Amino acid sequence: MHELGIANETLDVALSEAHRHAAKKVTAIRLCVGVLRAVEPGNLSFLFEHLARGTLAEGARLDIEEEAIRVACPACGDMEADSFTSVCPRCKGTPVTASGGDSLSILSIEIDI
Amino acid sequence: MVFLNPQTRVVGGGKGMRIEVERSLGQSAEASAREIRALLSGRKIYALNLISSPGSGKTSLIEALLGRYAAKSRVAVVEGDIETDIDAGRIRRHGVQVRQINTRSSCHIQPSQLLSVLRGMDLEQTRLLIVENVGNLVCPAEIPLGEDTRVVLLSVTEGDEKPLKYPLVFKTSDLLVITKTDLLPYVRFDVERVRRAARTANPAVEIFEVSAVTGAGLPALLDRIESLRAAKNG
Repeated sequence: MHELGIANETLDVALSEAHRHAAKKVTAIRLCVGVLRAVEPGNLSFLFEHLARGTLAEGARLDIEEEAIRVACPACGDMEADSFTSVCPRCKGTPVTASGGDSLSILSIEIDI
Repeated sequence: MVFLNPQTRVVGGGKGMRIEVERSLGQSAEASAREIRALLSGRKIYALNLISSPGSGKTSLIEALLGRYAAKSRVAVVEGDIETDIDAGRIRRHGVQVRQINTRSSCHIQPSQLLSVLRGMDLEQTRLLIVENVGNLVCPAEIPLGEDTRVVLLSVTEGDEKPLKYPLVFKTSDLLVITKTDLLPYVRFDVERVRRAARTANPAVEIFEVSAVTGAGLPALLDRIESLRAAKNG
């Protein structure tokens, strides 16, 4: 249920930006969520929709961009991975280090003015 | 977190407009965690955040830690659970200051909850604060509580694939404590597999194997925690 806190904060940020630009309506919000954040997009959208009722962001679309984990393999180069791994997912032999996948941010907000 | 400074850029104009915000979420929780950190540092208190599945041995580890310190006034404990004050009752018998947080519908302790509990405690003598998070390997990993050291516990009955299934908690923990090792003869649990996976998630993790029943491995772990505490506060 940590999606509830994220939905709440997303709404706060969207509404404060909307007020700052004297918007009539918030139509869409784009988020970047790393796969390590264990955020369930359906859950987040459901909670946001509920919280946004009766505000300028009622009915706004949540676009959730997933940020993958990146691994760098000396033999195969850089690539994305679905999960933490100690060996290259492509050649299966070379030890690699993993990075990224822990983003949690609002990228942009679309409003009608 | 990537974006420390919120940056706003307006794209387009007229009726529809896109505002580039680039702002990290979790800032109110981070602000509370910073306040906790400041409160603890100002009082020379070293803090542990214990995270694990329900029933992995967090409360037993706390009881073992309490046995190590003769001066009970130096240790304070905050227990987090969805419901009941069973754990707080267990700890209170050891003669230390303890508070229970019941999170009800929430699966982790929020920094704001911990902050308000700490403000109501007498921490004059305290040098070690132990926070037992709600039993859960997912959400507590997301939420720093201003702790100095994060400890993840994994009991051998839970299975050796947990670091692969729940990578964030293993990535963000300083110590990994493999518990209930007295049960190893009866379960399929490959300690080396866990060590490898945990090191993949966090190459700097320190790994301990303990049994609260036999006491095996406990002295090394308790000594390490005491040396970390002393390194911060002398």
